[in-house]
Parts: sequence; structure tokens; C-alpha cells
Amino acid sequence: MRRPSFARVAAWPRLTRRGGALVLMGVVLVSVSLWFDLRDILLLAFVAIAMPAIAALFVSLRPPRLAVYRTFTPSTIAAGTSTWVSLSVKNRSKRTFDGAHWRDRVPDHLTAPPDAVLPAIGPFERMLPSGDDTAHLEYRLRVSRRGVYVVGPLRVGVTDPFALARIDRDAGSARELVVTPRVTPLDAALGTAASVDGVLHGLQRRTHPNSDELIAREYRYGDPLRRVNWAATARRGELMVREEEQRGDPEARILLDTTLSAHQRGSKHEFDDRVHAGFELGIEVAASIGVHLLDLGYQVRCDAVADPARGGIASTSDGEYHMPGGDQGLLEDLARLDSPTRSDAPARRATTGGSSAPARAREARMPGFAVLVEPDEHDTANLVALRPGFEPAVAFVTESTATRVVHALEEADWRVVRVRRPTEIGGAWSGSAVRGRAAVANDRIAATGDARPAPSGTARSNGHDGRADAS
Amino acid sequence: MRPDTIALSRGQRLALTAASFALIAVASMALGPLISGSGWWWMCAFIAAGTLFGGAGLRAIRTPASLVPVLELVILVLLLTLLFGGTTSFALIVPTTGTFTEFGELLGGAERTIQQQSVPAIPVPALTFALALGVGVLAVCIDILVQTVRMPALAAAPALVPILIPGFIIEAGAEAPTLVLAAAAYLLLLRVDVRVRRRARIMAGDEGDDAATVISPARVPIASTLGATLGLAGAGLVVAAVLAASTPSISTSLLLGTGNPSTIFGRGVSPFIDLGRDLRRPDPSPAFHYFSPDGERPYFTLLTLDRFEGATWGVTDTAIDGDNTVDAMPRPEGLSSEVRADEHPIDVTIDEVRTTWLPVPYPTTRVDGLRGSWFWEDGSLAVRGIDADTAGQRYQANWLEVDPTPAQLRAADRRVSDEFTRFLALPDDLPQVISDTAAQVTGTAATPYDAAVAIQAFLRSPDFEYSTEAPVEDGYDGGGFDVIAQFLESRAGYCVHFASTMAVLAREVGIPARISVGYTQGSPSQERVGGLQRIEVDSHDLHAWPELYFEGVGWVPFEPTPGRGLVPDYSRPGAGEGAGPPIPQSGSAAPSASGRAAADPGGGITGTGGGLALADSWWLRGGVIALLAAAVLLAPAALRAGQRASRLRRIARGERPADAAWSELTATARDLGVDVGIADTPRAVASRIADREGFAADEAGAALIVLRDAVERERYGPALRTGVPDADLIGALETARAALADDERAVDRIRAVLIPRSLVDRAQAAFSERLSPGT
Repeated sequence: MRRPSFARVAAWPRLTRRGGALVLMGVVLVSVSLWFDLRDILLLAFVAIAMPAIAALFVSLRPPRLAVYRTFTPSTIAAGTSTWVSLSVKNRSKRTFDGAHWRDRVPDHLTAPPDAVLPAIGPFERMLPSGDDTAHLEYRLRVSRRGVYVVGPLRVGVTDPFALARIDRDAGSARELVVTPRVTPLDAALGTAASVDGVLHGLQRRTHPNSDELIAREYRYGDPLRRVNWAATARRGELMVREEEQRGDPEARILLDTTLSAHQRGSKHEFDDRVHAGFELGIEVAASIGVHLLDLGYQVRCDAVADPARGGIASTSDGEYHMPGGDQGLLEDLARLDSPTRSDAPARRATTGGSSAPARAREARMPGFAVLVEPDEHDTANLVALRPGFEPAVAFVTESTATRVVHALEEADWRVVRVRRPTEIGGAWSGSAVRGRAAVANDRIAATGDARPAPSGTARSNGHDGRADAS
Repeated sequence: MRPDTIALSRGQRLALTAASFALIAVASMALGPLISGSGWWWMCAFIAAGTLFGGAGLRAIRTPASLVPVLELVILVLLLTLLFGGTTSFALIVPTTGTFTEFGELLGGAERTIQQQSVPAIPVPALTFALALGVGVLAVCIDILVQTVRMPALAAAPALVPILIPGFIIEAGAEAPTLVLAAAAYLLLLRVDVRVRRRARIMAGDEGDDAATVISPARVPIASTLGATLGLAGAGLVVAAVLAASTPSISTSLLLGTGNPSTIFGRGVSPFIDLGRDLRRPDPSPAFHYFSPDGERPYFTLLTLDRFEGATWGVTDTAIDGDNTVDAMPRPEGLSSEVRADEHPIDVTIDEVRTTWLPVPYPTTRVDGLRGSWFWEDGSLAVRGIDADTAGQRYQANWLEVDPTPAQLRAADRRVSDEFTRFLALPDDLPQVISDTAAQVTGTAATPYDAAVAIQAFLRSPDFEYSTEAPVEDGYDGGGFDVIAQFLESRAGYCVHFASTMAVLAREVGIPARISVGYTQGSPSQERVGGLQRIEVDSHDLHAWPELYFEGVGWVPFEPTPGRGLVPDYSRPGAGEGAGPPIPQSGSAAPSASGRAAADPGGGITGTGGGLALADSWWLRGGVIALLAAAVLLAPAALRAGQRASRLRRIARGERPADAAWSELTATARDLGVDVGIADTPRAVASRIADREGFAADEAGAALIVLRDAVERERYGPALRTGVPDADLIGALETARAALADDERAVDRIRAVLIPRSLVDRAQAAFSERLSPGT
């Protein structure tokens, strides 16, 4: 991309409508000329035939040398928002580059601006660049769905000076645009729940002065005096300072249904055969919870329900996220998550195998959140097996989740919250918290509609209070 | 065929106008070989400039686009009035009814002059008017194509009109430099259009939130693109020239079976008069009459045949020289001042003869009182009209009565100067009998004059019989040398044979000879006006006679035909010894006092080559006209079919397939007369169509719903793939179209195919283009 090279040919040169008309006219003229023996017209007839052919030759033999720099502002966007795609097209040849149209290549269901005129670009300025060898193009790209989109390369249609022939060439290279799932801001309500008990207490315990043995180190030049740990200094006989490093982050776990194992293959959706609405909803829920927890300071682990031990939902990361930067990492991994398709479902199944989750009998139980779309018995069994390690254990289920799965989870003491639409995510979250604190009987399935959360301000303040209580 | 709706600024419009003007100006230059002088071109350029730049001015003041072509035509009429209206106009440029009458006359004159003139034609007012009108109309056509429809590539069609014309009229066609220039002007127009279009699109930008912002470099040198443009154009022209030069000429006989394409549009002028047809006429029609003192009764020459090609006599087709006006005709060739020549005025009134050749005596010094443009030809001094004919003419001619003495004729030099050698040309395969006869008759003659007298005497001898039947019966009618040979054997014939035989014999013995075709002196009537006798000439007075050239005297007429006309004094054997006044000599076979043949059937002197070609040309012309008419009539249907094909292609290719299918359905409905507008929503259109009987059937109704849903989803839904596969769409479209057509009568269906109404809507949309936003 950085190196200017000849733009690649994307298609054969073809005649424009004008060129075609000219050839047609030439053929008619030739026949008229031969029929009536008008030798003089033959010249014009051949001009009409030869010009488009020569023009086609011209455009295919003069490849432009263009360097294309592409940036997205912002570089990562959330679904439903837009980014500005800026292209700067630099001419690297000694000739003026003129007579071209441009169109950016975007995936099928995105809309890039239509074919537009690329202004004439001056010759490459090796010395004293004044910017006349560069054209700037900018357009807004709206993306409604999360995912990773390959934008580019720039398709440059070069025409000859008379617009008789045209060739399409690709200049520059493509670049990925990551569109993260939509994140619904959640109330801090859950912080009030017993969730934080285990791990957060552990943290506080460790930062307690009594454990100074573990966290004191020798003084190094530049340490502030206030950090001197006098007790340890006295004990060791040399100057010791407090090490204020968080060694035990609070941890939370998200289990996402990525396989839709119970999905009825072959059921036909009219519009979005390739986009499973429930799956997208699940990803939004997971993203909202994950970002919320990361904001609260948790270290978040995100796994697939079908195979909790494998670690991570994306092949590139191990599934552990922590601030700073963890939220972006989580969102990007979620963005890259492919919709489970018919073809690769059995394969996933095979890789997940029949591994049953190890029951992590932990001394400290962490909060666990399951986001379920269409889990099958195997997934349910995994969740049931994992239940002892979680406190609280909340399962967000979509409409497509089978009732028996819900029942099985409730039997295993999972708290089940239904989410039907993206707009209900906030309510569902608050509802789970409310229910968690109110300790409502498990046999009732929470319906988010009737469990309207308290106004967010109060909820938030409650959260803080609760947290203060807990600590 | 979608019009480009990007508004252009005034400067851009002006650039396009200038390029259009260059194209039409260069294209009209192609007529150069046909018309002499260059004044007509400047005038055409003026007209084209006025029309085109007037249109540009109208657009600059934001006249509605649909009005501009109409107003351009108005400008054209005003300019034509200024140039040709003369005194009939009001305030120089405003036409009155008189002006249009004048225009009508000019057009009629133009038609005549195009039929009659040979190339290069004299730009008489009628011809220039026709040229100006044509160029003006073409300019308006080009303007519509370039500016209104915005398809400058099609401007080639009007520009080709003047370029094609020369090829049909003269062998060489348009001149190569003009053609190259025309191609260059066309490419210039294309280039200007490309630049204008690009600039306009950059300036206009795209509308809407998602439009791209384009920041162009501040300054870009255009020199290098100029180089590419010139290089490309040059390469194209060179390649085209090489191709054109290397293309073998396919003989037209291979394609058409018949020869000369020129007969289609009448290349050149056929000057021949069918003598026989006029002589055969039982009741002579009065040709003209003239008033002349007693005894002054000349022959009237129409034209002179100077070329003997073996089979026939012909006229050397020379271009008319615009300076040869009839008010100052030159002294005849070879006439020296020693020869007595008296000038006589003569008043001629044409009765019924209608030709472009003016009957005047040879030699004439001036002709006055003619209407139209008449010019004399070099040598023969025959007078031709190029935008008028003889009908109703009344004129005064001053003719010279040349009266050489035999002594002067005898003194003529035997050697023939170079310019007259062509009057000695004879075919190589001359029959032996002709040269034998020549040798035998003129063996003893001392001088060319004596030889000529001997030939005349030989032909007037009793051995030869004036007969209009014999040649026809024995099948040797005409003027070719085979005919002459047979005539010398059988010794019976009429004026054509006598004249051509004498001319050929004279050439054989070395006397320049030609044949004049015209009228004999006519027959005097009883009417006398002021001492002048009125003399009637009718169609039976048509005649052909030889003229022989003698150095110092010029062309001297002889009269070898027994029983016709007057035998000049100088040509009698023994003339000069006994002088006397010329007496009309009635031969034994003379049927009347005027020496006229009663009936003279058979072909003319010039053979019968033309009839067949004419018939062929009629076939051809009819065929071409029928083809053109069929093409014009079928053009809308073809356009519509092309449109349908392109939409089906779009469906198959998946470029907004539902939209294409819906457009096709609405267009079909529109063609069939269903009242659906462009502004109607698919749902409204569908409900209107669904009311029709054809859609009561489930299948058709379902197809309509499928189409409607698909287009709604595509237009208003998210930009995803539509649910209906393309094949379904095409099937649904076919079903719906069939259902639409089922309801109509067969007549309406045919009308829908031939005159698709949906095209009219599109054309209206094209002509109501957006106006330039004040740039």
C-alpha cells in the first residue's frame, strides 16, 4: 500500500456506451460506403471504428501509478453508527492523471457512494510538494451490523480522453473496519449484589496492611516517601516501600452461546437468512455485560457455552480481558464472531467434543453470566456443572431458548432473565439485580417488561451504597 | 437513454456550443467541391453561428430547455429573412407573408438548380438559401443532441449529412482534408463534452448525507492530458487513413448487379434531348416564336455535341463558370475581324418548350431580359440556366450573322491548333467504309473547305434519301459509327445520320467537327409587327447539323440533310464564283416550306442508354425510401425492445432487479394506455393494475404482488439481497405483462408495440431538463 505501483487491472477494458455507438455508426458507414461506392466516407467510417479500439488499447496500456492511503475516523465503530472513510490518492507518475472515476469497494450490503468523478491529479512532485499530486476523497460509511468489514481496494475506472473506452483498475489495498456490537450502558446495580463477595473481598484482604510481607519491596531511588512502609522497614532493617499492585483482580465470567446447537436447521427466515437475530441479540447482551464489568474493574473471561474449557471465543485471544484496553479487545472479538452457519455447526460440535466442564471447586466464587440463544442439552449440562463456581449465576435467555433448557437451569439454581429485544437489555440487567437482592423465588421466570428498573439515578446511587455496604 | 441531469454553467454551455459550431462549419465545408466560390460557406457559417450561439444566449438567460430548440428555429427564420427576405421583410429581420412566398420560390428554384447545375455549381441565391436553411436546421439538430439530450456522440448523424452529399454527386466525393478536419472537429466536441461533464459533476457534487466529499488538487497542468488527447486522435486518424486506403473497392456490380450508383441521385445533368420523340409527335407543339426582319432567320442552337465515343455523341461535361454571364458573351472562337459579321437583334418568346438550354443563334453576343441565372459555356456558347428553365421566358438576343466568303474559308490553315485536336478525335476501330468513303469523296479536294463542300454535296446527292423509317426498320438508328457505316451502305436516314456522318467524315479528313442540336429557322407567319415578321418554331423544327471549324472564320455550320433547313451560300459547290443571296432550298423530299420532316421516329442522336439505368434507379430509390420509412416507423418499437432487453439484463445481473422489473411492468402498462404516472408509488400502480380483468386470475395477481413486494423491499427496505430470486422475478414479470396484454384488443396491442407511450414520457422527461443554477 505504501509503495506506489501500477494499479492492477480488475476487468477487461470495455467500450463505453459512446464507444459502442461510435463503432455501430462506423459499421453502418462502412456498409453504406461500400454499397454506394463512396470511398470518401470510408475514412470517417474507419475513424469511427478505429477510435474506440485505439482508446481501449490506450487505457489498457497506460496504467496509472497511484498510491492510496486509507483511514477510518473513528477507526472502530459501534454498529449503527458511521465512520468517515478518507482516501488520499497520490499520483506517482510523471504525467497528469485525468479522466478517471472512482468507487470504493465495500462488502455487498454496505452502501458506498456511487461512481464519482476523480478529479485530475497533477504529476508526482518529488521536490517541493505542494499537494497538487494528491486528491482527497472522503465519505461516510454507515454500518448497521457488527462485524469485520473489508473496505477497499479503491476501484478506479480510467477512461480515455474521449470517453470511448474504460478499464477498471484496483488501486491500493483493502483495510479492515471493525464494527463492534452495540453496547447498552448498564446500571451499576449488580455491584450491590452479593456478586462481589468472594473476589473483591479477597482483593481487599490482600491490600490490607497485615499482608505487608507480600507486598513490600526495597526502596528504589525515586519512590515517594509516603509510600515507605515503616513496619516492614523496621522488620527488615532496610528501607521498604509498599507495593500497591493489584494482584488479585476481581474476576467475572461470561459464557456465550456461539453455536446455537439446538437451532432448527432449515427453518427459513424470509429476510435475514444469514443473520440470526437472536444470536446478534446475545452478542449485544454479552458485549454490554462485558464492557460494564470491565468498567467496574473486573477481569472478564469470556467463553463459549459449548466448550467452557477451551478458553476464549476468538481464536486469537485466550478469552481473558482486563482494563485498560480490555473492553476494546472484547468488543473486537465479539465483532469477529461469525454467525454460526449450517455448514460449520457440526464441525464446532466436533471440536467441542463431549468435554464436560471441570467443576471448579473454588474457594472464591465469581459472578457468572450465561447468554443463551439456542443451547442444547449438552450446553445446559455444562452450565449446570459450572453453577457451583458462580455467585451470582445469571442466565440471559432469548426467545428462542427452549423451555426445558430454562427449566433445567432454574433447577440448577441459575437465575434466568429473558431478553427479547436489544432495548430490553438495560431493563433485564436491572431486573436481575433487583431480583438478586430481593431473592425472589426461583420458580418465577423474570419478565423484563414488568420488572421495570428504578430510575437510573437512584439505581446507580443504590449501587454505590450497596458497594459501600459490601466493603 | 437517460438524460444527464447535471446542470451546466454558462461557460460550459458556451464551450459545447463552440465545439458544435466547429463541427457543423467543418462539415458544411465538405460541400466545397460541389459549389464554386467560398461565399456560400461564410454565409452558412454565419447562419450556424447565429443559430447555435443564439441558443447559447437563450440558455444563458434561462429559457426553459424545451423552448430553446423552437426559439432557435425562430432565430433561423429571422436570419434567413435578413439575408434573403429582401424588401419583403419588416424591419430587415421580421418576416411577412411575402417573405414566406419568397422563400417558397427560392426553394422551388433550389430544386431546379440542383437538378440542372453540374458541379461545381454556381451559388445562385436559391441554392445558397437552400444551403443556409439546411445548415441551420442541422445546427438546431446538433444543438438538441449536444445540449438538450446531452448525447454529443450522436451529433455525428446530422454532421454526416453534408459530408455524404458530395459522394453521391461527384466521383471523388468530399475532399480528404475536409474529412480529416471533420473527424477532428467531432473528436474535439467529444473531448469538450468529456471535460465539461467531468467538471460539472465535480462542481455539482452529489447530494445527500452519504455523498462523498472530493477535494481536488488546486492546480493541475493540462498539458499532459492534451498530449494524450492529441496522440490518441492522431493515432485514430492515421489508422483510419491506412485502413481506408487499404480497403479494396468492392465493385457495386457484385452487390447490386447494376452499375452506376450515380443514377440514384442524378449525378450531373443529362443534357440530351430526345430528338426522335419530339419529331415523332404528330401534332407539333409550338416551341417558341421570334420577331425578325425578313431574311434574317438563323438556326437556334440548344447545345453542342463535341465528343464522339464510337457508339454515341456526347457533351463534354464542363462546369459552369460563374463569370460567364449572358450579358457579355465573348466573340466566337476563331472569328477574325476580316470576316463579315453583322449583329442582329432578335426577340424571342418561348411558348411551350421547357428545357434548361436556351435556344439562341450561334454566335450570340448578348442576351437580355432573362429571368434566373443563365451562363454561357466556353466554346459552344450554349446558354444554360441553373436555377430556372425556359418556361415563359422572353428575351432579346444579339446574334452575329457570320458571312464568310469561300476565299476566306479556302485560306484557312490546314493545320489544327492544339485546343481543337479534341474535335478530331475518332475511335480507333473506325469501320473501313468510313475512311474509304472519306478518301473517295474528298480525294480531289485541295483545301479543307473544298473537302467539306464535297462531303456536303456527296450527302445531298440524289443517292441519299431522307427517310425517317428506313433506319428504324433496318435497325441502325442512332449516331454511332456502326450506324454511320450502315447508313453509308443503305443511304437512307434523317438529320441525325446526315449530321453525324458529315461530322465523322470531316474529322476523318482532318477538319475539326461537332454537331449542334437545336431548331431550324422555323416557318414565318402572316403576322407582322412594326416591320418585323413573326416566325413560329415548333417541335418539328428540331434538327441536328454539323459545324466545321476553319481557322480565321470559326465554327461554320453546314447542312448535309437533304430537304431540311437552309444550305449556307458558302457551302454550295462552286460558291464564290457566282454570288447570290441565300435562298431557302427545298429538296425534293421536303414535305414543307420550312424543310421539316413530317415524321421522324426513332431514337435520338445520343443513343438510348439512359432509360434502363433510370428504371433501375427507380427500383433502388424506391427500395431505399421504403427501407428508410420502415426504419423510421419501427424505430420506437426497436427502442422499446432495446429498453426491455436492457432491463431484463439488469434483472439477470441483479442490479436492482426488482426496480428494473417494476419499471418494465409500468412501462408496459403505460404502453397499453393504463393511466400510471411516474410519480405514483408501486402500491398505487399495483392497485390500479390489479383492477383490470386480467388480474382476476390468481396467478397474475400473485405475480403482481410478488413484483410489488420486491420493488418495495428494494426501494424502501434495508440494502440487502431481495428474497425473490431473479428467475422468479422474470417469471412474475412475464406473467404480469401477459395478463396486462390479455385485456386489450389486438389493435391496441399492436399499437402499444409500434407506438410505445412510455417512450414519450421519457422523452418529455428528457426535454424538461433542470436549469442551470445561476452559475
